Amino acid sequence: MHRRSRPYGVPDSSSPLPYTDTKPVGAADFYAAVNATFRFILGEQGLEGLRRYWLDLGRKYFAPVTRRWSEGGLQAVAEHWRAFFAAEPGAEVEVTRGAAEVVLEVRTCPAIAYLRAHGREIVPCFCQHCHFVSAAMGEGAGIEVRVEGGNGSCTQRFALAGHFVQPQQLEDIATAS
Amino acid sequence: MIGIYDFCGHYEWTFQWLHEQGGHELVRRYWDEAIHQDSQRHADALITAKGFDGMDEYWGHTLGEEGGEWEVTRGDDVFRIDMHHCPSKGFLIRNGLKSHPDYCDHCLGWIGPLMKKAGFVVNHEHNHCGQCWWEIRRAEDATPASRPGELSGDADVRLHDDWTATGSHLDSYERATDPDDKRPPPSADEPAAGR
Repeated sequence: MHRRSRPYGVPDSSSPLPYTDTKPVGAADFYAAVNATFRFILGEQGLEGLRRYWLDLGRKYFAPVTRRWSEGGLQAVAEHWRAFFAAEPGAEVEVTRGAAEVVLEVRTCPAIAYLRAHGREIVPCFCQHCHFVSAAMGEGAGIEVRVEGGNGSCTQRFALAGHFVQPQQLEDIATAS
Repeated sequence: MIGIYDFCGHYEWTFQWLHEQGGHELVRRYWDEAIHQDSQRHADALITAKGFDGMDEYWGHTLGEEGGEWEVTRGDDVFRIDMHHCPSKGFLIRNGLKSHPDYCDHCLGWIGPLMKKAGFVVNHEHNHCGQCWWEIRRAEDATPASRPGELSGDADVRLHDDWTATGSHLDSYERATDPDDKRPPPSADEPAAGR
């Protein structure tokens, strides 16, 4: 018995995203791998090690994002997140570009929704990665982030460095379950 | 947020990050413990319970979601995949991403321990350019890997020009369940089996 499949189309070279694919959205099963990766590193290196992983990922793997944000400022931030969530299956997110902030209203976090729907045990600090990765992506571009909420829905605000009066309070980020 | 549209990119980057933290052994444990036993536990359950039917069910779903171009050949005693355009390695190639020395090893890194537990062995080759083939048989079945074209006909990836395209080099596995079970490369005057 033979069964054959065909590939999707060609990559979108005009995308604001740093890495592009031929498929329109990602394969949702990979959310389980992201969660499992966090759990593995947490078990091996503790919370400090996991935060170092997130920061390294933001600074190194996502360095092209930093460059785009550095060149394009808040407009580039807004364009990035609109394209980003359009490619995440199940995401319901509104991205608003204000005068001083880009605000992400995450009504349905695609990762948490998938993990819950498939009965996966979610790493409790899962939602902290949004802060640490985005903070690392933004630091070289003079962009800061504040995250509030989590565990399925949250608000993420991006602004030029110095705009936010208070530093990120990690207790403002919900424990995931 | 870490998304999954570019999952293969940060997955590959993570292999190298882990290697720098704890060497190859930590990367092997990541493939087994985080991917095989945690992330892909649904594959483990399907294949352990249903054997070849479970493989069909698992890869039918997951390869369909990921895209790419492949062919599955089912026999009573063998499950074969000819991967003509790997969606995962293809993503890395198109985006110029290479942090870890051999991304392709991750497949046998998590599938190998799963197959060992489920009672199967793997004949496999990958060319590091997005093409590979797999033949999975029961561990007690001593049948060797098929010759090119013997099992999957024209779909056999070994018969296609890109199998030995510029930049390709083959890693070969015979009755393997471990990512480090690579056969030594053939000497210049020794033809490689199955090529």
